[in-house]
Amino acid sequence: MAGENEKEAAAGKRKTGHADTSSTTDSSAANGPAADEPAPPPAEGTRERLPLAGVRVIDVGTFLAGPYAACILGEFGAEVLKVEHPIAGDPMRRFGTATKRHDATLAWLSEARNKKSVTINLRQAKGVELFIKLVSKSDVLIENFRPGTMEEWGLGWPVLHEANPGLVMLRVSGYGQTGPYRRRPGFSHIAHAIGGLSYLAGFPGETPVVPGTAPLGDYISSLYGAIGIMLALRHKEKTGRGQIIDIGICEAVFRQMDEMAAAYGLFGTIREREGSGSFVAVPHGHFRTKDGKWVAIACTTDKMFERLAEALERPELASHTLFGPQSKRLAARDEVNKIVVEWVGSLDRAEVLQRCLDKEVPVGKLNSIADIFEDEHFKARGNLAEMESEGMKVVVPGVVPTLSATPGRITNLGPPLGDATYEVMRELLELSAQDIAALRQQKTI
Amino acid sequence: MPQPSPPVRPLAGIRVIDVATVIAAPYCATILGEFGAEVLKVEHPIGGDACRRFGTPTKREDTLTWLSEARNKKSVTIDLRRPEGVDLFSQLVAKTDVLCENFRPGTLERWGVGWEDLRKVNPRLIMLRVTGYGQDGPYRDQPGFARIAHAVGGMAYLAGMPKGTPVTPGSTTLADYMTGLYGAIGVLMALRWRDQTGEGQFIDAALYETVFRCTDELAPAYAMFGTVRERHGPHIETACPYGHFPTHDGKWVAIACTTDKLFARLTNAMGRPELASSSLYGEQRTRIENRSDVNEIVRDWCGSLTRDEVLKRCNEADAPAGPLNNIADIFGDRQFHARRNLVSIDAEDVGETIIVPNVIPRLSETPGRIETLGPRLGEHTEEVLKSVLGVSDAEIASLRKKRVI
Repeated sequence: MAGENEKEAAAGKRKTGHADTSSTTDSSAANGPAADEPAPPPAEGTRERLPLAGVRVIDVGTFLAGPYAACILGEFGAEVLKVEHPIAGDPMRRFGTATKRHDATLAWLSEARNKKSVTINLRQAKGVELFIKLVSKSDVLIENFRPGTMEEWGLGWPVLHEANPGLVMLRVSGYGQTGPYRRRPGFSHIAHAIGGLSYLAGFPGETPVVPGTAPLGDYISSLYGAIGIMLALRHKEKTGRGQIIDIGICEAVFRQMDEMAAAYGLFGTIREREGSGSFVAVPHGHFRTKDGKWVAIACTTDKMFERLAEALERPELASHTLFGPQSKRLAARDEVNKIVVEWVGSLDRAEVLQRCLDKEVPVGKLNSIADIFEDEHFKARGNLAEMESEGMKVVVPGVVPTLSATPGRITNLGPPLGDATYEVMRELLELSAQDIAALRQQKTI
Repeated sequence: MPQPSPPVRPLAGIRVIDVATVIAAPYCATILGEFGAEVLKVEHPIGGDACRRFGTPTKREDTLTWLSEARNKKSVTIDLRRPEGVDLFSQLVAKTDVLCENFRPGTLERWGVGWEDLRKVNPRLIMLRVTGYGQDGPYRDQPGFARIAHAVGGMAYLAGMPKGTPVTPGSTTLADYMTGLYGAIGVLMALRWRDQTGEGQFIDAALYETVFRCTDELAPAYAMFGTVRERHGPHIETACPYGHFPTHDGKWVAIACTTDKLFARLTNAMGRPELASSSLYGEQRTRIENRSDVNEIVRDWCGSLTRDEVLKRCNEADAPAGPLNNIADIFGDRQFHARRNLVSIDAEDVGETIIVPNVIPRLSETPGRIETLGPRLGEHTEEVLKSVLGVSDAEIASLRKKRVI
């Protein structure tokens, strides 16, 4: 029964015409993975304007660290096969807010966008065999198991590399594939802590807080992952040789910390939490408006403070004898901040923004998600994309970054578990319907 | 496996002009340079990139941020406010693959070197344009900085204690780095397209939207259920215990029990496995309902031990825990040493050894590398103008005199 449903789903998908993904699958299935030499320049209108058309990616990771790299590749035209355990699938399906689709939370729907789901049980020898076959017909493999896990299943690099010498493999883990902590469980929350970011979030001397969102490190490590994959694909196309990209979430987080390492190395400076402010500039922080909302103001230079003083209608504050130079503002930090706190607190948010913008002071709303949905700029830039999934309207963040000639796109939200299993087994791995039924019965797929 | 010769880095032969300032677009150029591109940092002849003054001063009258993040770049001074400068710049762009810029929208157009001008000079050009708000939309002309982007993008609203003042989400430059990363992805996509088709393009990346893109289901949950996520201090709403806990020696650990299995391991580490029984706190739902009790149990346990002891017990039980490292902790952390995440580089003309973060990501076959730290202002002007554009000594002298370069 399940098999029939899936056949229908696969057929239905072709009919409803995501011509982009399914036609790519069919044609490249015949030719094997993307050719090692660059494709000839297409005549206008004969190919999709997507830089990764023809590239096949297997995403066997869970949650976001790594899978988000696959998501980006999919937005720009790669065919992404999400390989999942046949029973439970990616635990991301249960992470976050539940929907009426039993196998999909909102987080899953948004971040598994453009992917196709293929179930394979890697804990079975037959599953491992199928997986290797799939890898031999793919360009990129993304995984984020604890280091050593894939090796235990017989899916280490030597095996995969032999099956596909051009394979590009992204391995994301909490700490990386090497080093003393490599076997420890890795989570974004822990990686923010290890990487030095959490220590800096919060007020001086008080409890460090989550630096904004819990999975930030997952996203950041995936961005590095996508960069690594693009570089490795380039190398592969020149030489035919694949390689491994090895990223620890904690080191990806640490790479964001501007001169923190250099300053400690040279002067022993330990950066501390700076609350809502900045050590190097005043006023630079978050201020509450009369109507109980918040704005961010960032006067990084003297010129910007001068403009703020004009917005306050107190230009004398920017005089050399008062708070004109940054050094004087830093020395009188509390006094300067108090002036800004009082001024901002005496006006509604809209008024503060207007007066600051009139004088070109760097200012912005401290948006809640409700504010963002009201924000005309988000609308104008298409940052909120409205999609549909099985009768549900779902609003998700649009594609970033924006490319002028080959913009990315969202074709579908997170797929139902196993929606492309039949299609991939039949067309890509060329199994018979009978074989597929047997594999299903053995819970291999 | 034997290798015939050290592999060429994937971006060898690619020339990048970085005419941007501070971190956001320049960090994209930094990454491209680490993987083999030649990066020409085009700067104003007087003062140069503002990043030279951003952060802790060095003996050389620039800053540590500059030394670290302008790694591998060559500095070429050109004044784009002068017609001769614009002419030189256009000639240079004609011989370049990628241009990174972050002026306010319309600035390069005003100088006669906007996208439409430059694509005529070089139809294969890839141009990364980073701004606070993007090239279009109602806020396009507003000044944009990472702090403002964190606020507008919805990230700052989520950082801080419940109902307390929102705080900086860790680092004031976070949005700059994240936008540099998205920029690099865009450039590499565009290079691939160009190599296949010969067609150039521009990439439009805004600081606020790169931050917003990394907020998981914040948007769909509001759209469907009207849920407005708030600040939760060191915790999150959907899991418990999850947060930062002080240890006996006045340090902090992070603990994240996102599943029941992980909580069971934590109770093993605590020597109190009964807490994970289904009649007590075995289920996430029960733990969330009794959040303050559960947090108190974990807080008491962490508070009774030193940080090292908490971590040792958690690691033995495979429970997800880690130290809240400050930079001193990081310098002493074995993992960072084993992974060579910190590299010392002799900066001869600064007279110091500078320690900077190493290249991320790590590629097995074509690793990136740091060859030089941030250059002196104009250090390579003459070399580049001669070798790339064939400008004569006499012309260079004259351009210098006129302060065009």
